[in-house]
Amino acid sequence: MAASDTAHADHAHDHPTGLRRFLFSTNHKDIGTLYLYFAVVAGVLGYLLSLGMRLELAHPGIGVFPTISAWMHGDNSIDAAKNLYNGFITAHGVLMIFFMVMPALIGGFGNWFVPIMIGAPDMAFPRMNNISFWLLPASLSLLLISMFMEGAPGMKGFGGGWVMYPPLSANTGHPGPAMDFVILSLHIAGVSSLLGAINFITTIFNMRAPGMTLHKMPLFAWSVLVTAFLLVLSLPVLAGALTMLLTDRNFGTTFFDPAGGGDPILFQHLFWFFGHPEVYILILPAFGLISHIVSTFSRKPVFGYLGMAYAMVAIGFVGFIVWAHHMYTVGLSLNTQRYFVFATMVIAVPTGVKIFSWIATMWGGSISFRAPMIWAIGFIFVFTVGGVTGVVLANAGVDRALHETYYVVAHFHYTMSLGAVFGVFAGFYYWFPKISGYMYNETLSKLHFWTLFTGVNLTFFPQHFLGLAGMPRRYIDYPDAYAQWNLVSSYGAYIAGVSLLIFFFTVLEAFSKKRVAGDNPWGPGATTLEWTLPSPPPFHQFETLPRIVGGDH
Amino acid sequence: MFDNLASLRAWRPAVAGLALSAAISAQAFAEETLGHAVPGQMSLLAPATPVAENLDFFHNKILLPLCIIISLFVLALLVYVMVRFNEKANPVPSRTTHNAALEVAWTIIPVLILVLIAVPSFRLLTQEIAVPKTDMTIKVTGKQWYWSYEYPKEEGGGFGFDSMLKDEKDMKPGDLRLLAVDNEVVVPVNKSVLLQVTAADVIHSFVIQPFGVRIDAVPGRMNTSWFKAEKEGVFYGQCSKLCGKDHAFMPIVFRVVSQAKYDAWLADQKKKSASRESEVKFAAAAPRN
Amino acid sequence: MAAPQQNAKTRRAAFAAFGAAALMLGLSFASVPLYRMFCAVTGYGGTTQRAEVAPTTRGQRVIDVHFVSTVASSLPWRLTPETNSLSVRTGETKTVFFRVTNESDQETAGQAVYNVSPDQAGGFFNKISCFCFSEQRLAPHETAEWPVVFFLDPKLEKEESMNGVETLTLSYTMFPAKTQPKGAALNQTKPNG
Repeated sequence: MAASDTAHADHAHDHPTGLRRFLFSTNHKDIGTLYLYFAVVAGVLGYLLSLGMRLELAHPGIGVFPTISAWMHGDNSIDAAKNLYNGFITAHGVLMIFFMVMPALIGGFGNWFVPIMIGAPDMAFPRMNNISFWLLPASLSLLLISMFMEGAPGMKGFGGGWVMYPPLSANTGHPGPAMDFVILSLHIAGVSSLLGAINFITTIFNMRAPGMTLHKMPLFAWSVLVTAFLLVLSLPVLAGALTMLLTDRNFGTTFFDPAGGGDPILFQHLFWFFGHPEVYILILPAFGLISHIVSTFSRKPVFGYLGMAYAMVAIGFVGFIVWAHHMYTVGLSLNTQRYFVFATMVIAVPTGVKIFSWIATMWGGSISFRAPMIWAIGFIFVFTVGGVTGVVLANAGVDRALHETYYVVAHFHYTMSLGAVFGVFAGFYYWFPKISGYMYNETLSKLHFWTLFTGVNLTFFPQHFLGLAGMPRRYIDYPDAYAQWNLVSSYGAYIAGVSLLIFFFTVLEAFSKKRVAGDNPWGPGATTLEWTLPSPPPFHQFETLPRIVGGDH
Repeated sequence: MFDNLASLRAWRPAVAGLALSAAISAQAFAEETLGHAVPGQMSLLAPATPVAENLDFFHNKILLPLCIIISLFVLALLVYVMVRFNEKANPVPSRTTHNAALEVAWTIIPVLILVLIAVPSFRLLTQEIAVPKTDMTIKVTGKQWYWSYEYPKEEGGGFGFDSMLKDEKDMKPGDLRLLAVDNEVVVPVNKSVLLQVTAADVIHSFVIQPFGVRIDAVPGRMNTSWFKAEKEGVFYGQCSKLCGKDHAFMPIVFRVVSQAKYDAWLADQKKKSASRESEVKFAAAAPRN
Repeated sequence: MAAPQQNAKTRRAAFAAFGAAALMLGLSFASVPLYRMFCAVTGYGGTTQRAEVAPTTRGQRVIDVHFVSTVASSLPWRLTPETNSLSVRTGETKTVFFRVTNESDQETAGQAVYNVSPDQAGGFFNKISCFCFSEQRLAPHETAEWPVVFFLDPKLEKEESMNGVETLTLSYTMFPAKTQPKGAALNQTKPNG
């Protein structure tokens, strides 16, 4: 399957329409749109799961999950409720990571804008791109089915967290088929992401327009390139670990079973060798697009372009050598912990470079506070808060008090639920006019921002207090001392739910009012190639490749 | 950004201005040092061992102020650029994209800060990991879903017991819901205790925050930790590694008492376990005959 | 749009990326034996070392070595060290006996897994002889005394991360061996594949 053949084949017949257009699509923009729809569906599901958890945690005692369990499994016993809660935290994590943030940022925005930004007519392997997408609904279905299969004896679903540590995820904890479904689901999602990553790498290396050197390439393309490398190098390790877990479960091997000479800690090493780069996979594309938004609305080129690009490379690289900071408590030797403490703190340096470079980009600019810019500024602030608590947790000595508590939950939600999700929405409002051709309503989108900003800060900031006070995570019920902040946190989650409704209303409003956006609604600050095309761009762009001159960074 | 500022300030219980925090902090200071969280608690639990004291100091006096300063610094910069460089205040943007001195500064300064953090961080870490000479030993086994404790014979023990969450119907006034257990672990004050922690089925994690102790209980593996409680009291922890359905329902309770009380407890336990064992022997012997 | 040489380039890039992914997949599987070897050689993970002969030099430091044993619930054995701790001078060879009893009416086989904690002691904890080196069998209701002959490598005195470590714990966990003697039906509550 060569690039030119497929692209040529596409030319041969007319644009497919209706179902065929999307089912058999090989067009990067259509596939990007599919990814975005998919992310919205998964995001709503993931939010509903977290809403269930927050409803339960709003008050001490177990009050909500028996009802949910009765509705889902026809079993309203307390035991079923406890088990279902663990299923919810697992599914929430997997959904948000693999089916919401990754599809939105990499699949959605990456597919839509990486080819355009580098002046390419499409992705290098358009048909592979189609497979990448269509594996995801299959994967998601398996994950959802697993919630209804037997996991722990007599219980439904897999409740071992997204980290899936054996022996809990092995036959000791979950002998039923639910875990096998989760493994299969993640295998398929992994193949999907891997194919996507290979597609991006090939596209970015070989299909840049004449004159578009790597050092002139827009930062979003850079971020997706680094992300793609992280995926290629980390996902297979997850696949390997999961395969070993699968054979441990079904074929009598003992890779992670101490009774057979295996080591459950090895699974944790393998998992986090994937898992830590994975969190950068989630955030790097957001870094990339925030740079564009900040530069566009400050009407200034990005400050320290090369520093920004190589900071992402550095974050990606260091991301591979810090994994055991998730494992400070498993009994690692002193020197191992010392090494991981320092390596982890080093990540703060390139991250700091990015934060300060964004502010420096705004410095001296002429900032217009359009919705994407508001989201981007919000992103910079919440990511800073999530970053500094990351430095706290990096210290193994202090992690002894905070590991596996709500402090950690607060930390990674500040970087992801707020960071990555603010990145998603910033990108959404930034590119919505380009994707749809219509202008969103500025007031509504800002209302969306302020409700979500209030909601998530109210949800997650008090969780720092809960964690400091020692409340462990993954708990369906907690000692009464933690009630106040949990209630505040739950109110925050409800407000975040309202913001979701505002978001959908904003989108509907934009599509019904049909305000034409024009090629470039953002003015002279928007300098990347997508703004030279009509909105929405033609089905096939760049029939003659653009030639990039000057623009030296 | 107002709500965020407010919540940032709320890190210090000093914000008595907010009605909620005021009510909460009043409660927080009503009681003496305790081994568990109080309603609305916003900070680490009061430390009871030298390790936990250092942890507390490192977090409260070094890391937390640093977090607040950096967050406020970034917030201040953001507010400044938003006010000073919005399109009304500054209609013509500059074209500056480089400033070598600045770029070097914001790379070097964070590195220096991190190196400075690393010094106390490593000291604390070493103190936690290096087990000194200990006076007594307790073997801790995590099980689905309770903890078992064993006191070795050589140190005056020779018995073990299971410690399970107290049923709500058995709770006495003053018992904490989800924290009270049927059998508490008792240790003498000012003695170094070696904890040998393992698990029987899946991974659990043994935690007592006021002791500065957190160590995973891994099947097939023995992890150790230690503490020297310098304050008497009852100290609580909860299982901290997802271990299945009743993960939230296997608390840890350590009662730190004077040596005299400990000796009395030890004698009592040995008597109990002796009678238990004879029962077991009798029960075991019966079917075989 | 894409010239033929562009095609070749594209294919090369894709194959390289696929190759990298395949390599990582291979490495993840290779990590199992590699991790085991790494632990055995360096003592990582608290893996004790095997020595053929006793050391010739004596060191200065005296460290408390604690012994603790656990038996998996699926194995009807009882295993206890004769003492729960010994003071050991570095370079000094010590022997400690573990008393083991098969409490069932069948001949059964067990295999011990072991580690020493804190982890950084693994590289300095040498065993000359240990029941954990191989699978063990016990006749019905048989009781045995198993010796563990070990010493602490005097080199640990020069290891910075061992400073302040005055207590070590050597642990054994006895699991049923994979292949049991004929007729032994262990009550394994959890199916292990």
